[in-house]
Amino acid sequence: MSDQTHGMGRNDLAPGEEEQHSVGARILGYVVGLVLALMLTATSFFIAGTDLVWQPSIPVALIVLAIAQMGVHLVFFLHITTGPDNTNNVLALAFGLLVVFLVIGGTIWIMANLNANMPPMGHILRMQ
Amino acid sequence: MPAVRTVEATMLGKLDWSAIPLDQPIPLIAGAVVLVAILGVLTWVVVKGHLSYLWNEWITSVDHKRIGVMYVLLASVMLLRGGSDAIMMRIQQAVAYQSQGYLPPEHYNQIFSAHGTIMIFFVAMPFVIGLMNLIVPLQLGVRDVAFPTLNSVGFWLTASGALLVNISLVVGEFARTGWLAFPPLSELSYSPGVGVDYYAWSLQISGIGTLVAGINLVTTVLKLRTKGMNYLRMPMFCWTTLASNLLIVAAFPILTATLAMLLLDRYLGFHFFTNEAGGNVMMFMNLIWAWGHPEVYILVLPAFGIFSEVVSTFSGKALFGYRSMVLATMAICVISFMVWLHHFFTMGAGPNVNAIFGIASMIIAVPTGVKIYNWLFTMYGGRIRFATPMLWAVGFMVTFIIGGLTGVLLAVPPADFILHNSMFLVAHFHNVIIGGVLFGAFAGFEYWFPKAFGFRLNERWGRAAFWFTFLGFFITFMPLYIVGMLGMTRRMQHYDVAAWRPWMIVAAVGVAVLTIGVICQIVQLVVSIRNREALRDRTGDPWDGRSLEWATSSPPPVFNFAFNPDVRGEDAYWHMKARAKQQSPERDGPEYQDIEMPRNSPTGFVCAFFATIMGFALIWHIWWMVIVGGLGAWATFVVFAWRDHDEYVIPAEEVAVIDRVNLEQRRGLISMAEVG
Ligand code: HEM
Ligand SMILES: [Cu+2]
Repeated sequence: MSDQTHGMGRNDLAPGEEEQHSVGARILGYVVGLVLALMLTATSFFIAGTDLVWQPSIPVALIVLAIAQMGVHLVFFLHITTGPDNTNNVLALAFGLLVVFLVIGGTIWIMANLNANMPPMGHILRMQ
Repeated sequence: MPAVRTVEATMLGKLDWSAIPLDQPIPLIAGAVVLVAILGVLTWVVVKGHLSYLWNEWITSVDHKRIGVMYVLLASVMLLRGGSDAIMMRIQQAVAYQSQGYLPPEHYNQIFSAHGTIMIFFVAMPFVIGLMNLIVPLQLGVRDVAFPTLNSVGFWLTASGALLVNISLVVGEFARTGWLAFPPLSELSYSPGVGVDYYAWSLQISGIGTLVAGINLVTTVLKLRTKGMNYLRMPMFCWTTLASNLLIVAAFPILTATLAMLLLDRYLGFHFFTNEAGGNVMMFMNLIWAWGHPEVYILVLPAFGIFSEVVSTFSGKALFGYRSMVLATMAICVISFMVWLHHFFTMGAGPNVNAIFGIASMIIAVPTGVKIYNWLFTMYGGRIRFATPMLWAVGFMVTFIIGGLTGVLLAVPPADFILHNSMFLVAHFHNVIIGGVLFGAFAGFEYWFPKAFGFRLNERWGRAAFWFTFLGFFITFMPLYIVGMLGMTRRMQHYDVAAWRPWMIVAAVGVAVLTIGVICQIVQLVVSIRNREALRDRTGDPWDGRSLEWATSSPPPVFNFAFNPDVRGEDAYWHMKARAKQQSPERDGPEYQDIEMPRNSPTGFVCAFFATIMGFALIWHIWWMVIVGGLGAWATFVVFAWRDHDEYVIPAEEVAVIDRVNLEQRRGLISMAEVG
């Protein structure tokens, strides 16, 4: 099994495979990630309940915080980088994002359209 | 009395004697026959002392070739089950003119639901996944897949789902909702029985298996390739495998989530898809088709890959337009996520949405067309050999073009308003799934059988199987296009329109012809096994192949290749052969090395065993058993995760002995080619 990956050379690493940092540096990375993740989580809970900001902006703020949270996870825990050793991971991420965008965007568009075309309830009752 | 009842309810949930359909002879007899057959085989295995062979060499095997074979076997057995359902439905519709026929509605509905579920999830899926498992590592020139044990888990979970569907035949009932269990019909208020639960839990369990298989194959293609096998030197089948499995990884979680929401509705009183309390039925339609359309391409892309290999081998030419083929494959992979609304054009979307999705659907026919032309140009000017795999490939081109064109027709929203959910639609998807996926699976079966087992299949019976299946297909399904245009809707238990009757009779005759085709295939297998000495493939390269799976012996040793081959261009093995003919035979004593291979592991089987128990218990609300099954599966996983050693070593001497035989045979082949 061990000599199989030769074709790829060492220029393509799986997440978590990279070993060049010392243990201390790696632990530091995880700690920074954890602190950032906790901060983002706490902020979301705080924003959701607060009346310090303009109310309609709250959902937008939550979305932004959620996306930031995903970014923190990808960088600090899954070790996605833009380095040349990470092409596969970045491509996989791009494909994932594309699909998520297509499915969620499409769903929102389709469902809104279906709702708009739905006759009002009174109308349906009259038809029956 | 009530106390007794509560004890029973705790122990057995909803299960009692009324679950056995004693009043319905057909499923009971069918179930009894299957049970006797299984017990017979088991007794034979035990009496003959094959049990330890079966356990050590197959059930616990993590060898991708063995797992591939088991997938194909599962698919073949389930094809017979799904085929019996098909025969029963065709007979029903042939006789149920102005009468009730012989199948009561509640039974007929279960049959068409089981038929669709089985054919898609337990025939088409395992067949193509099995072939990918068997061949892709060989074509990439490597020794195994990326996650061998996970691979075994994936297979056994699929088998577990299949088992649950078949249990529903004799214990309880199956869904009556069609193969996608649309709500509100599939909600508790309209389907209070266990049918939908059988459906949903078997798909949840096998769906996890499929996801695991998808992750494994994507990783294998991306990370395990032999020296010099860069992306644009991979055989076409590896490319379509990559595309198909990317789709699995992206789409199957949608199915799992959707069914999970349906189950929450049914088990815990949620309201995702109910009519009341703010549920939205259309959300189910939307989500299930966001998985459903990619799913049809998950099935057909590997078939496209198989045809690419077959057409190029049997035309004796490199695949025409290799790069355009790669591009077309990846284009289909992305566009297939942009068309799902065409399955519910008629359910209330406005003209703008319908138009966009209609156009996107038609665009997907363009890369498909590119592929067809590439195959035709590969054949053009080639020296074509019409061996059985090639017959299936040519038959596919003819059939699939018709199916693709009717698909484009259905993608025109105004036309779909007339044809949606009619027999025309039924004809369309059988046209693409039988003519595309099943023909592809059969082509791959005939083409790679010698590789897997070391002997060829009998050609005469193979040809007979092809012609009966091909003609049978047209006789069965062309009439369905016609009755569809005459206004017949799908899933009718009986009807009163005289004009439909003759066509339904023709279709029933067609299914008889198709059945003869299937029988020919079984006979072919039996005849070939009996004559296996005469049909033995000693060279490892029975078809004058072009890709690396033919560079090793048939069947390949566990480690596939003594040396991972060095690839210098497309059609790697073809060029190796060409070089070998020019040069003197390779150095006499290559330096063999020890090879490490993954050890067998019962993890997959044990996990699936507990998953089956858990699924069955969930279906019947036997909560203590759910906990037992869940803990069992989890414990199996923990034991596996804490294993100490997972590889064993094949010493260099043993590798040398095995490989020298292979080299000997191959020299014979090459010198023969020089004479000829
Ligand atoms: C040329 C490309 C294709 C186009 C434009 C196309 C278009 C369509 C459309 C518009 C429908 C919905 C019709 C309706 O419900 O009224 C449909 C249904 C279907 N198609 Fe295709 N199709 C194509 C290729 C395929 C392929 C390659 C497969 C499978 C391998 C496939 C399998 C199916 C299935 C299973 C259904 C029906 C599912 C159901 O309602 O139960 N199609 N197709
Ligand atoms: Cu579709």
